[in-house]
Amino acid sequence: MKQEPVGLDIRYTYVTDSPYLRQWLDLPQVQKWFPVSEEKEIEDAVQCWIGFSRYSCSLTAVLDGVPCGIATLFLMPYKKVAHHALFKLVVDPQYQRRGIGTSLLKNLKHLAKSYFRLDLIHTEVFEGNPLIHLLEAQGFQIYATQADYVKNQGEYLGRILYEVYL
Amino acid sequence: MSLTFRLTQPEDAPFLSLWLSDPHILCWFPMIDAREIEDAVRIWIGYSKIESGLTALDNGEPCGIANLYIQPYAKQKHTCLFSIIVKEEMRGKGVGKALLGQLISLAKEKFQIEILHLEVYEGNPAQHLYEKMGFVLFGRQSHFIKEDGRYSAKLLMQKRL
Repeated sequence: MKQEPVGLDIRYTYVTDSPYLRQWLDLPQVQKWFPVSEEKEIEDAVQCWIGFSRYSCSLTAVLDGVPCGIATLFLMPYKKVAHHALFKLVVDPQYQRRGIGTSLLKNLKHLAKSYFRLDLIHTEVFEGNPLIHLLEAQGFQIYATQADYVKNQGEYLGRILYEVYL
Repeated sequence: MSLTFRLTQPEDAPFLSLWLSDPHILCWFPMIDAREIEDAVRIWIGYSKIESGLTALDNGEPCGIANLYIQPYAKQKHTCLFSIIVKEEMRGKGVGKALLGQLISLAKEKFQIEILHLEVYEGNPAQHLYEKMGFVLFGRQSHFIKEDGRYSAKLLMQKRL
């Protein structure tokens, strides 16, 4: 079992974390797992993503005082569906494979269950995303698969939708 | 019945609000009250700016609306979620089928959509229309809706154009 890195802290996301998210989404090795592919799209995605921090439903992993990952619940606006939420998670590539994603996800599940009283959380990943191993280790199960959902320079990738009951 | 189609206009919003306010229709949508309906109508009709919505007219009066939620990201612009609604009194008269046929043409010809997909609650009679029109199931989320402590499933269906 991976040990959490010494000096890792998980705190609520601040709007001032935006530049870090923008920087990670601009890296080709991160961008390939997200729908964004240009500056304007990244900016829109960052605005939407970080915008949820105002509801205290977003967590930032901080290593030695520097943000290295963000996980966010995209809370639903309608009552009939407010018992679940989509989430997104990203870890700075230079800090991946050190248990930061696991720690973020565990904390996010706890936040979802204990504070927001959610019954389940779900996410979607593109085929081949390394996050799949983390999701499966955390008990997530597939509820939908859709082939050819992403088209990047003529190449198609499917998406896999995962959920976990809290 | 004299059915025609045109692009959805902002002026269609009151019709959409009215139809969604009918409990028999609203039960198949995630909204539950007037504020949520207003919010959903604003988003739906907002797509009229990019001309991705169609309105069916019976003798000149709106009787159904369908919309393509065009994706904001280039990597996903070949896929599209859509929604459709038909006025209660006009159900079972082929309006939904005709409107969806028109929407599929719009998706293919104007927006070069390759995969059209939808979300429908389990038990919604519209599911049969989607199946007849070639949509196939690609997922099911069993706890999507929660009302009075009971859950209902959402089905995810798609059609390659």
